[in-house]
Amino acid sequence: MTSTGTPQLAGPTSDDERVRQQRRVGFSQRLGRWDVKVSPYLYISPFFILFIVVGLFPLLYTGYVSFHKWDLLTGKGDSVGFENFDWVLHSDMFWKSVRNTFSIFLLSSVPQVIIALVLAAILDANLRAKTFWRMGVLVPYVVAPVAVSLIFGQLFADQSGTINAILAKVGMDPILWHSHVLPSHIAIATMVNFRWTGYNTLIFLAAMQAIPRDLYEAALIDGAKRVRQFFSITIPMLRPTMIFIIVTSTIGGLQIFDEPRMFDTAGRGGADQQYLTVTNLIYQLGWTNRNFGRASAVAWILFLMILVISLINYLLSRRISSEESAGAKKRKKVRA
Amino acid sequence: MRKTTRKFLAVTASVASIALLATACSSDDGDDTKPSAGASESATADDSPVTLKVATFNEFGFADLYKEYMQLHPNVTIVDDKADTSDNARAAVTNSIASNTVVDDIVAADGDWMPELLASADFFADLGSDSVKDRWPEWKTKMGTTADGKLIGYGTDSGPEAICYRKDLFEKAGLPTDRDEVAKAIGTTWDSYFDLGKKFMDAKTGAAWFDSIGALSQGMVNQQEAPFEDPATDEITATGDNSVIKPIYDQLTSDEVLAQSAHLGQWSPDWSAAFKKDAFATMLCPPWMTQIISGNAPDQKNWDIAPVMPGGASNWGGSYLLVPSGGKNVEAAKALADWLTDPAQAAKIFVQYGNFPSQTAATTDAQVTGKTDDYFGGAPTGKIFSDRFADVATQPYRGTHYFPINAALGDAYTRVDVNKTDDAASSWKKFVKAVDDLS
Repeated sequence: MTSTGTPQLAGPTSDDERVRQQRRVGFSQRLGRWDVKVSPYLYISPFFILFIVVGLFPLLYTGYVSFHKWDLLTGKGDSVGFENFDWVLHSDMFWKSVRNTFSIFLLSSVPQVIIALVLAAILDANLRAKTFWRMGVLVPYVVAPVAVSLIFGQLFADQSGTINAILAKVGMDPILWHSHVLPSHIAIATMVNFRWTGYNTLIFLAAMQAIPRDLYEAALIDGAKRVRQFFSITIPMLRPTMIFIIVTSTIGGLQIFDEPRMFDTAGRGGADQQYLTVTNLIYQLGWTNRNFGRASAVAWILFLMILVISLINYLLSRRISSEESAGAKKRKKVRA
Repeated sequence: MRKTTRKFLAVTASVASIALLATACSSDDGDDTKPSAGASESATADDSPVTLKVATFNEFGFADLYKEYMQLHPNVTIVDDKADTSDNARAAVTNSIASNTVVDDIVAADGDWMPELLASADFFADLGSDSVKDRWPEWKTKMGTTADGKLIGYGTDSGPEAICYRKDLFEKAGLPTDRDEVAKAIGTTWDSYFDLGKKFMDAKTGAAWFDSIGALSQGMVNQQEAPFEDPATDEITATGDNSVIKPIYDQLTSDEVLAQSAHLGQWSPDWSAAFKKDAFATMLCPPWMTQIISGNAPDQKNWDIAPVMPGGASNWGGSYLLVPSGGKNVEAAKALADWLTDPAQAAKIFVQYGNFPSQTAATTDAQVTGKTDDYFGGAPTGKIFSDRFADVATQPYRGTHYFPINAALGDAYTRVDVNKTDDAASSWKKFVKAVDDLS
């Protein structure tokens, strides 16, 4: 490169060489132009290459698998068109798993976000030993899911469980956590909440601390009490964070896998699919029944479901807040 | 995204790092291991250093044997690759078959997975040789042999079943307590077992007769020649008109038998906790179950073993060692698997860990037959299980759908016995539906 930058020094000896040197100049310029145009893309390419390899490719390949008979061990079979999707959509098991997934998702995500918001507001106040409390809420997140399942397994055991022992002391009938649909969902949602509330709290807390303090001071001068401040300043200012948390916990909630699988030792989501979630069903179809075609079909339906729900969520949570932004929109419309 | 993807990322990362480690190991061993000093007694001609990875789960009792083998063969380094659960071990094996990649030189497999592995027999090396001929009884070898006679698995342990019982509860109910008399009272058929159960229940001790219908079902399935599928065609027969498990199902879900159940799901926390209490008086007892009983109720001194099995001698459980044919050191791996499953080694494992051997010669070894168990009132467990083992004649045919059908059947019993969400008829219907969905 450096030598090509000074072609005159070499001196033209023949027409041939001149032509060659001119070409070299042209090439180096072109290189320079490419450098400007292409390099930025090269610098950001690692992410996209990684995404294509571990994200996009599996996604499309799963779609390809879902249109075939596909055995875990013997691999690809005949192409069957939409037969796998047809089977899935007509299967009781699938609809039960959809019901369970949504029920567990609602029972976990809704309380989770609300509790996290309240906890964050408390942690945002001027507490003694702040860091201790803030780190404290993250402890459950660090505990391994298997350990969580063991602990909650002792709590929620049907006959020998702690909760039923307490209920018996009070004179109430034991709750059959593994037999009935709703109790099992509550038990599983409890495990999920235990693990994820602290994580969401910290994210809310970080966002709350970024809210300019002078807003609160102004509100105080205007005579707003704490509750009013929370609803009129904190929540509207948290909107982007709220959207982030709601979207991520929706996706996470719809893909819930560990907790229902660890809820009993068989890991089959209950003898009557009381707590079989969609991701558990994918695992069961793919690895127990070795039917990858159907498992992939369920995976794709789940993907589409998450896409739709996330969209609805996004639209809803945009409206969550604030007169301020609603007002801003109106003003914009008026101006337009 | 957050919850699962993070996990998946972590898993992928750890898989990648394991893979890196694995490749690092295998590329290292060429230079790192010192050349053996000629003291080797190696049977193989080739003394170049090899590293063998052995994938196991639960407890195979190989730790000391690895050390011994590495001393005998200084050129061999054995790496233990133990999975945390048998479920994960099964997933690892099936994944390596599905992606046609060899991770371990020797793979341990539960007997229940063998039909699936036999369906992919090309992935595994032919292990047949003169040194292992007649090492195992025919029923054990058969489960590791393809239809055209290729042996892909060396048997490790086995599970000849007996009945474990609680002396104190038997005494309370006015039944005999001596293990031979108990065996006589239980008798050799399931009817006689349930008849004695009725007598026991009538005594109103507060305890149930047995732990779980699912467990009994497993014992009874093990006594059928072809419980779920037709051995000739591999077609599913479990739900058809000639189903052999429907009569079993009807008997086990009859009111009479249900009344004798402790309504516990096998392996559940409730089941484990029940061993400490007076919850049930008898249970099916393969050798490995004795360790589970003593582990769940270390202070309960009243368990004993009766040398009997209603419905005839049968086997529950037992594993195999397989060698993937695509490995780098297939011959060395074969030699190690051969040595690990040698009767002499199997006897040592039984004495140290209690895994009962499947090798015929090992079951008559004096070390094995002489073993007694203080927890079970000094019962001669070695002798009892050796006798039970000698009577085992067949193993059920396990076709390619054995595993999912058995799981669905377990669910069917759980619905009736433990959850009580269904009656026998509606639960059977759901079972039929689940089996239909397999094809």
